[in-house]
Amino acid sequence: MTNEPQFDHVDMMLNMGPQHPATHGVFRMVLTVDGERVVDVTPHIGYLHRGTERLAEVETYGQVITLFDRVDYISNLNNELAFVRAGEKIMEVEAPERAQYIRVILAELNRVASHLLFIGTYAIDLGGMTPVMYCFRERERIENLFEHVTGARMMHNYMRIGGVKSDVPDDFVPWVRRLIGEVRMGVEESDKLLSTNEVFLARTQGVGVIDGPTAVSCGLSGPSLRGSGVAYDVRKDDPYEIYPYLNYKIPLGENGDCWDRYYLRVLECYESLNMIEQCLDQFPAGPIMAAGRRIARPPAGEVFAHSENPRGDLGVYLVSDGSDKPYRVKIRPPSFCNLVGLATMTRGAYIADAVAILGSLDIVLGEVDR
Amino acid sequence: MTAQDPQAAPAEKPVRHGPPIVIAEEVLNERGEETAAQLARTLGPLALESAGREDNPWARVDAKELHAVAKECRDGEMGMDMLNLMLAVDWIDRIQMIYVLYSTTNNRKVILKADLPADAPAIDSLSDLWEAATWYEREAHDLFGVDFPGNRDMSPLLLYEGFEGHPGLKSYPLNDYEEW
Repeated sequence: MTNEPQFDHVDMMLNMGPQHPATHGVFRMVLTVDGERVVDVTPHIGYLHRGTERLAEVETYGQVITLFDRVDYISNLNNELAFVRAGEKIMEVEAPERAQYIRVILAELNRVASHLLFIGTYAIDLGGMTPVMYCFRERERIENLFEHVTGARMMHNYMRIGGVKSDVPDDFVPWVRRLIGEVRMGVEESDKLLSTNEVFLARTQGVGVIDGPTAVSCGLSGPSLRGSGVAYDVRKDDPYEIYPYLNYKIPLGENGDCWDRYYLRVLECYESLNMIEQCLDQFPAGPIMAAGRRIARPPAGEVFAHSENPRGDLGVYLVSDGSDKPYRVKIRPPSFCNLVGLATMTRGAYIADAVAILGSLDIVLGEVDR
Repeated sequence: MTAQDPQAAPAEKPVRHGPPIVIAEEVLNERGEETAAQLARTLGPLALESAGREDNPWARVDAKELHAVAKECRDGEMGMDMLNLMLAVDWIDRIQMIYVLYSTTNNRKVILKADLPADAPAIDSLSDLWEAATWYEREAHDLFGVDFPGNRDMSPLLLYEGFEGHPGLKSYPLNDYEEW
């Protein structure tokens, strides 16, 4: 800092949240400020702690899937996928190919829906009210498809250990093809409107910079980590489901600032839409549920399975004691880990930029607090 | 339905009627064997027990050695630069800490485990090695009562100030609804 004050001063504590529109839920941070500069940040979480991990110990495996819907309530299907994959790993069953395709199509659509919500709300955080209207219109189209396929707009409870609940409707493939065209146009619209807007660039470029090694040490993942140029994506590094059969790129940032983190999500929307198109081209017929018993009673043991959530690396550590209920379920919540990096990013920034930095991490408080 | 009385003596273990419990076989694949060999070289005789599943080998070490072992995993040939996940498991007679380490350069994962006594569990903090450990440790302190000497800030993270008990433990009562 060039204009360091030459006289004695006291730092002021400024409380932000839990009821603050830019915290995307119930999140509180105490900013220690010196004038307009932030000296330190102390995040306070736990307002939404529901004891999901403890509750999962008294529910059967089938019931735990509903809890996972509610962990990250913006990308429910991605969360279900993480748990059923852990369940499949411990039960040593594999979902039929058609079920895997259905899961990946829905998970990628959910990723697009989640990123669209991020783009819209991030613009609101920075004072632009228009993009959220476009983004929610497109997100609504995706939610309509989810309702058609799973019966619910958000809390789907659609995936099962060994497959999916029911087969997709007959008009699924043409519907998704039409949807992809519409959503792609919508993403392009928001992209053109926002990404290179001068005011938006001034608020985000060079703000909240975090370098690669620090980001890895803080445990960041997903677009927040890739914005710093670290190519870590579970879909590539620990391939699961049918991702190895798809042709896609992982966009990487260079500067690790808010704009990089934002723009990676826009690029990921395009990549995800391309992936869904490839899935539709390869979409096989066949069963949707693995043969075998319907009640999950896995052998005693432990597994760790993870998958790529819109926010990052979502891991599930499952400990089974051989009964029909998990002995311990530990979720690796990407938003929780991304928040660890908040203090590093915000130190030295302006107070107004604290909102931009928090928004660029795209946290979901349901997942942070579980 | 009445609420469970926290003071009541623990109920006797119910008789299991289900089929006999099967223990999962732990088999490493080729990639897992390579990682396990690296882990064995790094740990040497410090590994008390080791096995693994698919490409995730694990090793159990003494709780006193865990910090040194983790540092060796980070700085040695394995280059584990990310603490992917840390959790505590309550096995009633002991508390097991599990650390999932990940290397973004080599794309390999290993799991370290350490057993702590159920009364007064404590283990050295890894917050000086990985920043990510700070919050994981505060969470484990909240929910399982594990102490982490070396962590600068152990204030409650998920629970509120003054909360009594550790809700992650199996002994913590799960109260049912009561009519009101």
